[in-house]
Amino acid sequence: MAADAKKGDRWTGWLFISPWLLGVAVLFVYPFFASLIWSFTEYDLLTSPRFVGADNYERIAREVLAGEGFGKALWNTFYYAAVSIPLSTMLAIALAVMLNWKVRGQALFRTLFYLPSMVPMVASSILWLWLLDPRDGMLNAVLALFYETPPLWFQGMQEGVSLSTPFQFGSKDGLTLMSLWGVGNFMLIYLAAIGDIDESLYQAAELDGAGVWQKFRNITLPMLSPIIFFNLILGIIQSVQAFTQVYIVSEGTGQPAESSLMISLQLFLAAFRDLEMGYASAIAWVLFVVLALATWGLFRSSRNWVHYRGGRLS
Amino acid sequence: MIRQLPVALLVVFSVVVVLWGTMFSLNRDTPADRAEVVFWHFWSGPDGEVVDEVVRRFNESQEEFFVRAVSMPGNNFDMKLFLSITGGDPPDLINQDDPIVGDWAFRGAIYSMEEIAPADEVEQMQNWLLPAARSLGEYDGKLYAVCNGLDIRALYYNQDLVEAALGKAAPNQLESVEQLDQIAELCTRYDDGELTQVGYLPDPRRLWVWGSVFGGDFYDEQTGQVTAEDQQIIAALKWMKGYRDRLGANTVATYRQNDQSLPNKMFPLLADRYAIILDGQWRVRDIEAAQEASRRKGEPVTRYGVWPLPTLGPESPESPESKAGWVNGNVFLVPRHARNSKGAWEFIKFWTGLNGNVEQAAQTCVAGGWIPVAKPVSDSVVFQSYLDEHPLFAKFVELSAADQVPTPLVPGAARYYREVNNLVQRVMYDDHETPDLKGELHTLGKTMQQHIDRIHRRPSFKSSAGGFDE
Repeated sequence: MAADAKKGDRWTGWLFISPWLLGVAVLFVYPFFASLIWSFTEYDLLTSPRFVGADNYERIAREVLAGEGFGKALWNTFYYAAVSIPLSTMLAIALAVMLNWKVRGQALFRTLFYLPSMVPMVASSILWLWLLDPRDGMLNAVLALFYETPPLWFQGMQEGVSLSTPFQFGSKDGLTLMSLWGVGNFMLIYLAAIGDIDESLYQAAELDGAGVWQKFRNITLPMLSPIIFFNLILGIIQSVQAFTQVYIVSEGTGQPAESSLMISLQLFLAAFRDLEMGYASAIAWVLFVVLALATWGLFRSSRNWVHYRGGRLS
Repeated sequence: MIRQLPVALLVVFSVVVVLWGTMFSLNRDTPADRAEVVFWHFWSGPDGEVVDEVVRRFNESQEEFFVRAVSMPGNNFDMKLFLSITGGDPPDLINQDDPIVGDWAFRGAIYSMEEIAPADEVEQMQNWLLPAARSLGEYDGKLYAVCNGLDIRALYYNQDLVEAALGKAAPNQLESVEQLDQIAELCTRYDDGELTQVGYLPDPRRLWVWGSVFGGDFYDEQTGQVTAEDQQIIAALKWMKGYRDRLGANTVATYRQNDQSLPNKMFPLLADRYAIILDGQWRVRDIEAAQEASRRKGEPVTRYGVWPLPTLGPESPESPESKAGWVNGNVFLVPRHARNSKGAWEFIKFWTGLNGNVEQAAQTCVAGGWIPVAKPVSDSVVFQSYLDEHPLFAKFVELSAADQVPTPLVPGAARYYREVNNLVQRVMYDDHETPDLKGELHTLGKTMQQHIDRIHRRPSFKSSAGGFDE
């Protein structure tokens, strides 16, 4: 009798997770493996895929070498990730540390800084289009005090973090600013982690005469390092997958002159505008490998800078 | 019993969802005795109302077919269409305005009109359409798309500004591109070193226009070669870049960006930001509305005019085959495996005015402010009286009969169009000088040739038997 009931429970459990299982199978497992096969084909959605060997991968390699198409998208994505991830990490930690201070209105401040990450991406993209308008934008009104020609932001091809056009901010820099605005999620995780740091560590450091900076440098940061590591991996994935905001600010083209063409948009255009599903699948797999390598590299390096309370993870 | 409750709830929920979906899909207003023609288009707002009205008139005139229009504004129209075709449930008729006819025709995603309509009627249609309209739908010698409205570009000018700058009456038409440059320079204004008014500024998306006006060809249909580095296209690009050189790349980019931030996407000519601007016939309504508003307020009414695009002057003899301009427009397409292509063809004839539908077509063009695709429609009493009331619009209708060329109808044209625009944006907006325009166009042409060749190697959808081809 009890065995029957247990069996019944098991079936009910399977039944309840079946929508999820079905979703994973149809929307994740199948496309995952299908895209691997398609990446070795020419496929235009209308006719059957035609096997072309490694042609799509060769084309990607050629474009990377020539700095065209995928090569350009790869550079844009790398620039965006390389600028936005460190900045958002620093900003999120700084905000979390400050929001941990026991001051009047602490809850209000926490809410205020978290709120932007609740705004839907489409709405925030439109908002930033206004804020970064070269002539009427609020930011350029301030920057006009320092610049003879204020930055063009989404209309510009310049790269503010480069030797050729230092501090001349263009479309990718605008997207970076947008990413900083939505740093609330990371901040929240850091805030929880800071609250979890054993107070006795700070007390011991104070007894040893440590100041604010030394406590931050030698206690807070090392204790946060597992979280920084986790957020770094998440940040890389999010940067590489940035699509909605790029699509909106560049009107779906990566304009001006492909300066905001990220890999995800390039993939979308190849698949659904140019009907090159095979090439788009190859891009997706290259992206997957790049992400896997970046994550692996981070894991390898983490032995040197990530500190776990119970000792290093084996 | 309680143990079974979640399962029972799940079953009830599923049944409700399925029933709801079924009821929704059955809730159509197509009469039982008519064959339904599903028509996908992207119009909405006032244009959508015009389309609904055309559909209503067609349905009233019919006993056999009933058009059900489905508005799909926004992006990803193509993606939805291809999924519907491969899924075996395409619409019977669609409207498109991207340069995709050659691509979709080659891939076999759409029927040629010969496949769905009697040969004599297709021939009639080919003769019916203006050359510019016909050129938007012909691929490989067959009619794959029927244009339902032409988009013609010309130069709008602020007559008051131009005459003030010239100190005399504005010319009726520009003699040459050099004359355009001269007037543009006279009309350009700076206030405290800041550019406040531009005489004329070429739009980076319009190398397609100026390349044709300069006599260039972007594609050689005879040899199947991309000819982006045609001498005349290089000359057109150099001429466009001249404005960037004179005004400065940053200034050009900022000025263009600021056009986007005008309230309610206002036509920049009306904000006095430009003295001359290249745009299409749809702006006539904006101008007339602004003039009417000024009249109502008792303010001075600004005068505007329209110039056809100028040909090159005598100092530029390298313009042997100058065209009147570049044309695009909306076209009807019938997706492959459409269930009711016959009904779709009847609706196409109704819209374009063929077979005794001239008055109906003229009404449609008047309601939408659209340029007719056939001369008899333009010549109809209804349309002529509309032109009498809208003289600026009449200039565009006149130009529609001239030598207007479309974006090449080749597979991969949409990407070609995009890549050319990207290149011109780089030339116009980038701080760094682009010294080798020919080299840039050569590289672009080579990449596009590879792209087009790659598509040409593909089998067609209509001949595809499914399965995995090697």
